[in-house]
Amino acid sequence: MTEMEPGEAGIDNLLRSSLAAPVPSLPPDFDQRLMRKVRRASQPFGRYHRLLFAGYGVTSVVTSAAVMRGQGLHWGPIALMVLGPLALAAALPWLRGAARPATRHSAG
Amino acid sequence: MDLDAQLVARAQSGDQQAFAELVRRHSARVFRLAVSILGREFVPEAEDVAQEVFLKAHHAIQSFRGEAEFGSWIYRITFNQAVNRKARVRFRSRHVDETALARAVAPEPAPDRRMEIAQRDAALAESIRNLPEVYQSALRLYYWLGAGVGEVAALLGVPENTAKSYLHRARKLLHAMLKEKGYSCD
Repeated sequence: MTEMEPGEAGIDNLLRSSLAAPVPSLPPDFDQRLMRKVRRASQPFGRYHRLLFAGYGVTSVVTSAAVMRGQGLHWGPIALMVLGPLALAAALPWLRGAARPATRHSAG
Repeated sequence: MDLDAQLVARAQSGDQQAFAELVRRHSARVFRLAVSILGREFVPEAEDVAQEVFLKAHHAIQSFRGEAEFGSWIYRITFNQAVNRKARVRFRSRHVDETALARAVAPEPAPDRRMEIAQRDAALAESIRNLPEVYQSALRLYYWLGAGVGEVAALLGVPENTAKSYLHRARKLLHAMLKEKGYSCD
């Protein structure tokens, strides 16, 4: 019970009667349902998605190399333009890991 | 190192059982906090919020450094998530208020008295909705969900004296608002 000034007792009683209602609770299977979702969310790409992603990557690299070669570019600049972004993408997780100690905990 | 900190460390190294234990330890309180912000007309939404909070916490557990307790961290996520959800559901139709159901089966007072009580309760509900979020949450936790001042303080992430002062100021504001609407509660 919190300390109350004389005039507050009336509003205290009113709140007690007006807000009296059944207290809701989570369904008993909430934890299991949630953990199923957690497991699903933390699963890495499946085999099919990995194959699809790799196929898309190879096709786009070959197509862009062929188009650039068709425009008269030499293989050196073509390799640089194709492999440069790939190297950057590969280095990103490492860069993010190196920057992590500076971040404070937050999820929102 | 307390149990939560040990469980967090294990969850950070990929132990899903440890995360499940954290869920088991905190889900009821996360839900109570969510429902205290959303109100009794949005209980299913509060359950959704509780689920989103744990999914978010699982996603962000690697960035949790343990500077605050896991409980405080997850209650802060819950508060923000529930306030955001409340802003989205504000104009949606409310679910059936269980108080109305409880009163429907209770012995009825005379019709004019019933009308009077209904009008006063509606005025009170409207006044509560006009209070700042932390006051609303403190009131619902204390008067509806039966939480003690200690639990109100823990869930809102404030010292007990601050929680007491939230309740005190909320009552004073409600008293003034109801008086302005022509209802006396002395």
